[in-house]
Amino acid sequence: MYINYLANIGRYVPELILVVLMLGLILLEATYDENEKDKKYIFITATIGLVLALGALIANLGGKPEAIFSNSIVVDSFSTLMKITMVLGTFFAIYLSRISKDIYETLKSEYAIMAVGILIGGFILASANNMLMVYIGIETLSILSYVMASFKKNDHRSSEAGLKYALYGGISAGIMLVGLSHIFGVLGTIQFAGIAGSIAKLDKSQLFILMPSFILFFAGIGYKIASVPFHMWSPDVYEGSPTPVTTFFAIVPKLAGLAVLVRVSMIFMGDASLLQYTWVGSLMAIAALTMTVGNVSAINQKSVKRMLAYSSISHAGVMMSAVVVMNNVGIRSIVFYGIAYLFMTLVAFFITSIVEDQYKNDHFERFQGLVYRYPYMAIMMAIAMFSLTGIPPMAGFVAKFNILSALVQSKYYSLAVILAVNSVVSAYYYLKIVRIMILKNQEANDNIKEFGFLNQMVIVGLTIPVIVLGIFWQNILALAEGAKLFIQ
Amino acid sequence: MHGLDLLSLILWMPIIGMIGVLLFPKNNETGMKTWALINTIITFALTLVLYCKFDQTVSGMQAAFNVKIPWIKQFNIFYTLGVDGISLPMIILTGLLFMLCILSSWTQIKKSVKAYFALLLLLQSTVFGVFMALDFFLFYVYWEVMLLPMFFLIGVWGGENREYAAVKFFLYTFFGSILMLVGIVGLYYVTGQSVDSFNILALSGGKFMSQTVTLFGYSLSFSKLFFIFMFVGFAIKVPVFPFHTWLPHAHVQAPTAISVILAGVLLKMGTYGFLRIAFPIFPDSAKYFSTAIAWLGLINVIYGALCAMAQTDVKKLIAYSSVSHMGFVMLGLAAMTVQGMNGAVLQMFNHGTSTAMMFFMIGILYERSHHRWIVKPDGSRGYGGLYTQLPVYSIIFIIGMFASMGLPGLSGFISEALIFLGMYERFTTITVLALFGLLIGAAYLLWMFKRMFFGDVNPEVKEYEDMTKVEVLYMMPLVVAVIVFGIYPSPILNIMKASVGQLVSLLATF
Repeated sequence: MYINYLANIGRYVPELILVVLMLGLILLEATYDENEKDKKYIFITATIGLVLALGALIANLGGKPEAIFSNSIVVDSFSTLMKITMVLGTFFAIYLSRISKDIYETLKSEYAIMAVGILIGGFILASANNMLMVYIGIETLSILSYVMASFKKNDHRSSEAGLKYALYGGISAGIMLVGLSHIFGVLGTIQFAGIAGSIAKLDKSQLFILMPSFILFFAGIGYKIASVPFHMWSPDVYEGSPTPVTTFFAIVPKLAGLAVLVRVSMIFMGDASLLQYTWVGSLMAIAALTMTVGNVSAINQKSVKRMLAYSSISHAGVMMSAVVVMNNVGIRSIVFYGIAYLFMTLVAFFITSIVEDQYKNDHFERFQGLVYRYPYMAIMMAIAMFSLTGIPPMAGFVAKFNILSALVQSKYYSLAVILAVNSVVSAYYYLKIVRIMILKNQEANDNIKEFGFLNQMVIVGLTIPVIVLGIFWQNILALAEGAKLFIQ
Repeated sequence: MHGLDLLSLILWMPIIGMIGVLLFPKNNETGMKTWALINTIITFALTLVLYCKFDQTVSGMQAAFNVKIPWIKQFNIFYTLGVDGISLPMIILTGLLFMLCILSSWTQIKKSVKAYFALLLLLQSTVFGVFMALDFFLFYVYWEVMLLPMFFLIGVWGGENREYAAVKFFLYTFFGSILMLVGIVGLYYVTGQSVDSFNILALSGGKFMSQTVTLFGYSLSFSKLFFIFMFVGFAIKVPVFPFHTWLPHAHVQAPTAISVILAGVLLKMGTYGFLRIAFPIFPDSAKYFSTAIAWLGLINVIYGALCAMAQTDVKKLIAYSSVSHMGFVMLGLAAMTVQGMNGAVLQMFNHGTSTAMMFFMIGILYERSHHRWIVKPDGSRGYGGLYTQLPVYSIIFIIGMFASMGLPGLSGFISEALIFLGMYERFTTITVLALFGLLIGAAYLLWMFKRMFFGDVNPEVKEYEDMTKVEVLYMMPLVVAVIVFGIYPSPILNIMKASVGQLVSLLATF
C-alpha cells in the first residue's frame, strides 16, 4: 500500500511543488518585519516555484494517463493542460498584485500565498477522480477565496464581497454535499468510475430517484463557474474585490470548475440514457441562460470591472455549451477556449487595473482618449476587446469557432444560433470600451505612472498570444486535441 | 505556382505598405503619404498585369493563378486564392479606387495621418482577400477583419455623429456575418469534414437539396435555412431593404475617401457574396427565393430613389442613390439569365466608378464649403450658381451624375439596359415598375443639380476655388472609365462572360 503511494508520487510532483512553495512562502513571510513594504523575495520565490510547477506539468504532459493514490487522483492530459492554464493565470495575477495599488502593500505577500493555495485547490479539482476529492478541492478553493475577496479591509464593498462570497459558497457547498451523500447512499461508492458503472445498471425508476442529487451536485460546481442561476454573487464579488483578486477569480476557479464539470459529465453521462438526456438538457438550458444573462447584464454597466465580471459569466456559458456535446471535440474546444480566454482576460484586467489605480475608480469615462496618451496600450486593450467579442484574426474568434463547430457537428443548431446571436450582443459592450478609448477626443492629459516600460512589455507579451493563437492555431489545437480524459 | 505568385503579391502588397507607413517617423507625413501612394500604384499596376495575363475564354477559376497552401490541418482549412471573370473586375476596381483615395486623402486628412494611411492600406488588403479567397474560412476571416479598419476609419476620422455611425455599421455587419459563420460551420459538417469542406468551388453545385436540420424543434430544409443565413449576411452588406439603415449614417459620417471605398467596393462585396457563394452553393434555394429577391431589389430601387429625393444633404442623397442602384444589381441577380447576370456584374463595376466619382466630387466641394446642404436646415440655399463659378468642377460633376443616372453613352446605361433585358421575361411586372425607379433617379439627380448649380449665385459660392490640378488628376481615371465603358464595355464584358455563363447554366438546371 505505502509502496504504491511512493511509486505514484512521481506524477504528483507539480502539486507537491506547490505545497512546498506555499509552506515556504509562509515561512519566508514570517522572517520579514511586519511593516516591511517591499517583500520582493516572496515574489521571486513564488515565481521560481510556479515556473518549476509549470515545468513539472509540461514534463507530465507526455506521460501515460493513470489514476494514482487508490484511484482518487487522475493524471491525464486534460487535467494537465487545464493546470498549465491555471498556473499561467496565477503567475500573471501575482505579477499584477505586485504592481497594483488596489491591494495594501503589507498584504501582497499574503496574496501570493493564498493564490498558490487556491491554485492547489484548482489542481485537486482538475484531477479529482472521486466525490471526496471534488469536495476537498472546492472547499480548498473557496475558503481561501473568501479571505481574498475581503482583502481591502477598510472598504465596505470588499468586506461585503467576502461575506457574500462566503454565504453563497457555504450554502452551495452544503447543497452539493447533500447531493453527494445521496448519490453515495444510493450507489454505495464515491469513485467516479464506480458510480458510472452502477448507473449503467440502473433502470428508469431508479435513475429517476438519482437524478435530483445530480442536480444538487451541479449546484456546487455551477457556483464556482458562476453559471446561472448560481451567478448572483459574482458581479458584486468581482466589483468589490481588489482588481488583482478579480483577475484571479475570473480565471482559476472558473477553469477548475469547468474541468470538474467536463469530467463529471463525460464519466457519468457517457451512455445514452435518461440521465444523460436530462443532464444534457439542463446543461443546454443553463449554458444558453448563462451566456444570455451575462451579456445582457453587461450592457448597462458603468464600471469596467463589473462589465468584465458579467462578460466572464457569459464566457463561462460559452464554455459550458461545449460540455453539452460530450465528446472529444468538445473537450478540445474547451481547452482551446480556456487558453484563449486566459490571455485575453489577463490583458483586459491588466489595463483596467492600471487605469483604475490612476483614477481610483474604473468607470468607462476613465478610458477616454487613452489612445492619445498610450497608443500601444489602447491598441492592446482594443485587441483584447475584439478578441473577447470573437472577431478574427484574434484568438477569441478561433475559440468561439471551435465551440460553434463542436455544437454544429453534434447537431445542436439551436444552441449554436443562440451562441452566435450572443456574440453580437457582446460586441455592443466590448465596442463601448474601444469607442471610448479611441473614438472619443482626448480630455485628460495625465500620465499614468504604472504604465512603466516593464508593465507595457508584459501586456504586449500577453497580447501577442491573442493574435498568434488567432492565426497560427494549428499546433495549439493539436495540443488541445491531445486532452483526453482518463477514466478508471 | 511556385515562389511568389501574383495573387498573393497583390493581396500582401498593401500590408507591406502598411508596415512601411508604421515605420515612418511620426512627423514625416509627406514621406508616409508618398510611400502609401507608391504602394497603391504598384498594387494597381499588378492588378493590370493580372488583367493582361487573364485568359478570357476560360470559365471558372484560372488555374494559372491558383494558390493553395494548407493552413489548419485539423479543419482542412487552406489558404486558397483564385480569380475568375466575376472577381477580376472587382479586383481591378479595388486597386484603382484605393489609389485615388490616397490622393484624395492627401490634404483632407489632418488628424493622426499615420494611423489613417496604415488602416486604409490594411483595408485594401482585406478587400482583396474577400475577392480572392476561395476557402470559406479564409473568406470569412477577411470579411470580418475588414470591419476593424472600417470601424476606426469611420469612427476616428468621421463627422460629428461618427461614433454612432461606426458602431451601427459594425453591429449590423457583425450580426450578418455571424449568421454566415453558422452557415459555414453547418456546411463543413454536412460535407463530412472532408478536404473540400471549406472549398467554395467544391461546395457549389447544389449538393444540399435533400438535407434537413432541426432548429428549435422544427425540421427545416438545410438548403433553404442556410441560404437565408447567407442571404442575410450578404444582404446587410449590399444593403438590401430592410437591412439598409446603417448605410446613410455610415456614408454621411465617413470621410470622403472612406465613403468612396464604402460605396465603390464594400457594397459590392455583398453582391459578390451572392455570386460566389450563396447562389452557386444553394442554387435550388436561390431559384426558389428568386422572386422574393427580385421584389426586395425592386423595393431597393424605388424606396432608395424616393428617399434620395427627400434628402437635403448631398452626401446622404448619393448614399440613398447607392441603395437604389444596388437594387438594380439585385434585380439582375434575381433574373438568373445571361444578360441579367452580366448586367449585374457590369453594374457592380460601373456603379463603383460612377458613385466613387460622385462621392469624390462632394468631398472636393465640402473642402471648400464645409457643409453639404442643398437646402440648409434654416431653409436657405446651401449652394446655387456653382456652374458659373466652378466650370471644371461642374463638367466633371455632370459626367458623374449622368453616368449614375444611366444616360446612354455613359457607363450606367449599358449595365442597367442589360439588367432590364435579362429580367423582362421572368419578371415583367417588376421590370416595368423598376423602370419608374430610373425615372425617379433622373428626377432627384436633376433636381439636386438644378438647386446646386443653377440659379442665382450664392455669395458664399463666389469664394470657392475651382478644382486644383491634383483633384482633376485623380478624377481623370474615373471620367475616362465612365465614358469609355459607356461606349465600349467589351473589355469588362469579355472578362466576365465565360464565368457568368457558367453560373447561369448551373442555376438553369434547378
